[in-house]
Formats: sequence, C-alpha cells, structure tokens
Amino acid sequence: MRPTPSQANFCLTIPSQTRYLNLVTNVAKRFALIADMDDASAAKVSIAVDEAVTNIIAHAYRNEADHHIDIEFHINGKVIEIKVLHRGTGLREEEIALPDPREYVKHPRKGGLGLLLMSRFMDEVHFTEGGENKPSLCRMIKKI
Amino acid sequence: MTDLAIDVREVRGVWVLQPQGFINAYTVQQFESAMENLIQAQHCLILINCKNLTYINSAGLGAIMGLIEEVRQQGGDILLSNLQDNVYSIFATLGFTDLYRVFATEEEAIAAVAQQGDGRQSPHTDRK
Repeated sequence: MRPTPSQANFCLTIPSQTRYLNLVTNVAKRFALIADMDDASAAKVSIAVDEAVTNIIAHAYRNEADHHIDIEFHINGKVIEIKVLHRGTGLREEEIALPDPREYVKHPRKGGLGLLLMSRFMDEVHFTEGGENKPSLCRMIKKI
Repeated sequence: MTDLAIDVREVRGVWVLQPQGFINAYTVQQFESAMENLIQAQHCLILINCKNLTYINSAGLGAIMGLIEEVRQQGGDILLSNLQDNVYSIFATLGFTDLYRVFATEEEAIAAVAQQGDGRQSPHTDRK
C-alpha cells in the first residue's frame, strides 16, 4: 500500500460550462480519496466543489461559456484545501445568508441549496471578492 | 455513455421515473422536463426510483423541491426509492427525508400506495 501524500498541489482549469462539472466532481472525489478520506467524506467534498463551480458558472459568469475557472487542490498534512478561482462577479462573504433547512422544507422552492450543502459538507468555506488584477476566490477546507 | 437517461413507466397507478446516470446543472433540465411532462399529463403520483442514480446535487434537489407543492396541490405526491448511500446522504443532510416518503425498493413504494389508496399521507421514511 502506498503512503498517503502529506503534501500535494495541483490545478485543474476548465471552461465555464456545465458540461465539465462531472469531470470536476470526479477529480475532486479521487483527490479526496488519495488524501485518505473515506468514500462518504470524499463524496461530500466532490459535491461541495461541484456546487462552488456551478455557482460561479451561473452567477459569477452568468452562464457565459467563454471564461475559465481554476480549481486548485492542496493536501497539507491532515487537511485538504480546495480553492476555486474566477474573474467573474465575486461573492462577499458577509452578504451570504444560508437558508434554514427547516424553513426550506416548510416552504419548498427551487434554488438556494448549493451554499448550504457546501457549508454542511466542508469544515470551512470562505469567499474573497477579487479586484482588478486579483481573481475572486472560494476556499474550502476539510480535515482528513 | 449517456450522462442521464430517464425511463418513465406506469405501475399500478404510480408513475415511476427512473433516472440513470447523474443529475447536476448540466443534466437537470432533462430531469425537470421529464417531471413536468408527467405533471402536465395529470400524472401526479410520481415515484422517483433512484436505483441507477449515481449522483445528485442541489440542482436536482431544487428541481424536485420546485415541483412538490404543485404535485400535492393536484392531489398527488413525489415518493423516492432505492437511494444509494451518497444520494440518501444529501437528502438526509438537508432534512428532506422528513418531506418525502422514502422506500427501500420500488415494490415497497408501490405496495404502500396501493394499501393506502393514494400517496397523500404524512411524509416519513421507510428506507431500510
């Protein structure tokens, strides 16, 4: 059996198109498994990354297909960190209001669940709005 | 390989919708259209058999959530069966297993509906 890498870094760049989401999901899951996460935790990581990229395509880039999204994967000891970077409209962390699942179930509607899944499935989720020469960032952390 | 294929059939008055593949933002419209076609045809007692559904994200959940009230207003319901662990985990994490009746198998879901006359009972989970 090969040892789990204690340090690893790589980056995947995709066009801002939903046809690439399954690729991203699969890469994220394999990455989490390589970092020695169990299957259930790896599945959660993959969903969180999917949701982050989906939000960027839909909201930051407004479904415009000719942009790019960078997804950086890092293993730092007992923690994985995934950064999703883009140059579309950024999200300010202080403006995010997660829906209450109990209220959501009482008043079902379409949409609004992606950020909630990200926050439930990762230990930390942070957003940093970019600037003129700086991409916007979604940074997610999960303990292994 | 097809990203998503959807089989639709009627079993003892229940319309079974069986997706095969994954539901994300790329495939969700196909899934949503299949659901809407059933509702437009007044087939509002719907069982989603998730046996071959390998993955669902918030887009797929949103599609189901967006139609549940309309279905129930028309006297029907949306039931779920055969959820794989990763799919069940998403529903459970968000508390959706309190909103939908979840069965271990399609046969159990059909039998429960037949026994009760229709699908309009309080939601609860019968998943084993």
